[in-house]
Amino acid sequence: MSHVQAILIDDSRAMRLILRRIVGQIGFDAVEAEDGQAAIDLLNSMEKPPELALIDWNMPNMNGLEFVTAVRKEPKYREMTLVMVTTESEQSQIVRALAAGAHEYVIKPFTAGAMIEKLALLGLVPQGASS
Amino acid sequence: MSDVAALRVEDLHEIVEQVWSSYLDPDGIEPLLPIFSEEDVAALKTDMHASVSITGTWHGHVVVACNEPAAKNCSAAFLAMEADEVGEEDMMDVLGELANIVGGNVKSMLPPGCFVSLPTVVTGEAPHYPSAEPVCQLAGLWKEDPFVITMWQSSGAAGEAA
Repeated sequence: MSHVQAILIDDSRAMRLILRRIVGQIGFDAVEAEDGQAAIDLLNSMEKPPELALIDWNMPNMNGLEFVTAVRKEPKYREMTLVMVTTESEQSQIVRALAAGAHEYVIKPFTAGAMIEKLALLGLVPQGASS
Repeated sequence: MSDVAALRVEDLHEIVEQVWSSYLDPDGIEPLLPIFSEEDVAALKTDMHASVSITGTWHGHVVVACNEPAAKNCSAAFLAMEADEVGEEDMMDVLGELANIVGGNVKSMLPPGCFVSLPTVVTGEAPHYPSAEPVCQLAGLWKEDPFVITMWQSSGAAGEAA
């Protein structure tokens, strides 16, 4: 089985599909979770953590900020890049997410090009991958 | 009183244009065509309603309404499938996400300290907000089917809070 490089965490299946298409353009295999708790359960079942997590903020059970806070406490996920993908655009909330350990922030709505640019800035777009 | 009166239909239109160009009309071929005549807006028939509530320093609701063909086309665009393959669950999910995105962007124009609920989607009659009144509305046609986005402000102390 190929190594999963991304986990897509959003309570909307449509949004997970959009994100899957985008990370697919840079050659990433992805798994999906519909909230933060489901994502943690999924991560715990994986042999090797993915390089990238794209995380919605507003989700039932465990929201994106709670997920980031929980994951950042676990040394085994230290290398995982955490990107919030959300409509939450209030400055104080962005600061909270970054302080909790998120690396980047993408505000919905976004285009595929904008997301790939952001991932490229994080060094996650392999040479020669579509952009 | 909060400065929500400053939110204009042009602001809603800008949000909608961003959503359309990101997900529904990336090639810019089929934008939402706004309708300005009150009579024409009143004649639009919608039976699918997705909404989010906003609480905090401002209280109200953002509702995205359309009919089933519009919801199908919208879901097909989001999910990259044919409209006739779209199921009820797909439409609920996509309309909920649309309300979430539009509502989240509306929130960004409100005073700081607001929170957006998870989306709710209902079919049939429009949701009724007895203690709220519409303060801003954008109506239009997309692929000849109606979309109506309405912002409701709750009255009373919560709605007046700044």
